[in-house]
Amino acid sequence: MSAVSAAAPLLEVSKLNKHFGGLYAVKNVSFGVQRGEIVGVLGPNGAGKTTLYNLLTGFIAPDAGATIRFEGRSLLGLAPHRIAGLGISRTFQLCRPFVGMSVAENVIVGALGARRHGITDHEALAAGLLRRVGLAGKDRLPVEVLSYGDQRRLEIARALAAGPALLLLDEPFAGLGSGEIEDLSTLIRQVHAEEGLTVVLIEHKLREFMRLVGRVIALDFGEVIAEGTPEAIVQHPAVIEAYIGRGNVDPLEAGRAA
Amino acid sequence: MFRKPVDLVGAAAFLAFMAALPLVFRSNYLIGVLTVSVIYGIWAVTWDFMSGLTGRENFGHSLFIGVGAYTAGFMNTTFGMPGWWSLPAAMVMAVLFALLIGLPTLRLKGPYFALAMLSGAVIMQRLMLIFWEHTGGEEGINGLTPLIRNQLGFYYFALATLAAITALLLALARSHWGLILRAIRGDEATCQAAGINVTFYKIASLTISAAFAGAGGAMYAHYQLQVSPQLFAVVTSITIITMVYVGGMASIYGPVGGAILLVLLTELLRNFGEWRLMVYSCVLIAILFFVPGGLVAPTWRRIKAARGWGP
Repeated sequence: MSAVSAAAPLLEVSKLNKHFGGLYAVKNVSFGVQRGEIVGVLGPNGAGKTTLYNLLTGFIAPDAGATIRFEGRSLLGLAPHRIAGLGISRTFQLCRPFVGMSVAENVIVGALGARRHGITDHEALAAGLLRRVGLAGKDRLPVEVLSYGDQRRLEIARALAAGPALLLLDEPFAGLGSGEIEDLSTLIRQVHAEEGLTVVLIEHKLREFMRLVGRVIALDFGEVIAEGTPEAIVQHPAVIEAYIGRGNVDPLEAGRAA
Repeated sequence: MFRKPVDLVGAAAFLAFMAALPLVFRSNYLIGVLTVSVIYGIWAVTWDFMSGLTGRENFGHSLFIGVGAYTAGFMNTTFGMPGWWSLPAAMVMAVLFALLIGLPTLRLKGPYFALAMLSGAVIMQRLMLIFWEHTGGEEGINGLTPLIRNQLGFYYFALATLAAITALLLALARSHWGLILRAIRGDEATCQAAGINVTFYKIASLTISAAFAGAGGAMYAHYQLQVSPQLFAVVTSITIITMVYVGGMASIYGPVGGAILLVLLTELLRNFGEWRLMVYSCVLIAILFFVPGGLVAPTWRRIKAARGWGP
């Protein structure tokens, strides 16, 4: 199931398992992400998507026997801040801004990690990123007053401040209105196009997501059930079963309802 | 270091006021009260630097105070070292204790750090009694030599030390270091995702806090000319936390004012005799109820805002 390509993939995962007691949250997952791709990780609630992110970013340790390589380097056993320092930035499913701090300060913290030593003007970096994600002029506001959609933008600005090579977004569209979803997709597309940033995003709503990503990895019960282009994935019997079989929800309808 | 020149002017005015008080009233009793209040200021500001900024409450700051004081006691009497050696020695010993407790507990989530600090202080207090042959038991160690014989001179030395420590911690708190500590208070996981070694920053901040609190403990020992197990008492830690709340948590300079106010308040209330504790508690409750953000730092911010002196 790993991506077959002449170039070594940016991220390479194989035989990834994580069980909690008798339950496998992630089961025998293998895949690769090429530099410059936008990859979607699709799956119903509880399919193991967030656990997969936590495994990739070192927040939880996988079962023995797994391989996780980033730019050819094994990430196994590294603390989350070290993995972030290697160039993997992530956002969280629920927005987790630093309360009690200004919007700009939230972004600056993103640039204080190990990866970015050469920055002299953090204020300017933050202002630039905030302009980029559409939060221009909100630099000095306390982060608590931002709307949920703006907090999502802030999360992305903070993640970009670290200067990542790989951006992992955990349900970036959750809780957003359709207009906001479109704006945010445009932003992700821009960031990808302008910086050649590799992006992986988790979603279970389909419409915007399918337009955004180039390739989809579908998970269910912790296992990869299908992998391919968005067009192929929506036709894939295992994916249709995962959605319609259990929830009686057409994935495309679910996307439209969002 | 200060955000606005007005902060510098405010700090200078406050220092001048504190320095002038004993010259105006010329009372040894007042100098004594002020000296104690200034040493409490050191303890409050060091507590705030670690716990106020990161939100990891330290319920046993008295551990560092006691360790610093007893280090001074042993160095000065048992080993007959000159008094000034006490300060660096106390800092080193307090840092060792900070590492002993911080290294295992600050990597964990949950209340372990707060509980370990609390029990560390309680255990040390008991140990001072158990090993009474070496520590002097309940009586403690007597006969320390003063650092400065002139009482007013020692007060100015304590005031200058407080000013220097506050300036240093304020500079750190307003640098990227302080930003990281406040971010840790906000969300540790997000900090880790931003590549920040959260455990390192927490432990380093605790050691900085401990070093200066220990130095304060040594100064207190050389002021009282004796040390006793009471220095490790939980009530001292709670008093310091109260001072930080009254001063304004995470503002660094606020707790200095909070400490001085509360020590002075305690003394002023001596006139109330046996009603003193009750009045003191009522005043505290009123402060925490009506100005939950604290009294000193928020008031200074409000004055600046009202006068248009900037944030």
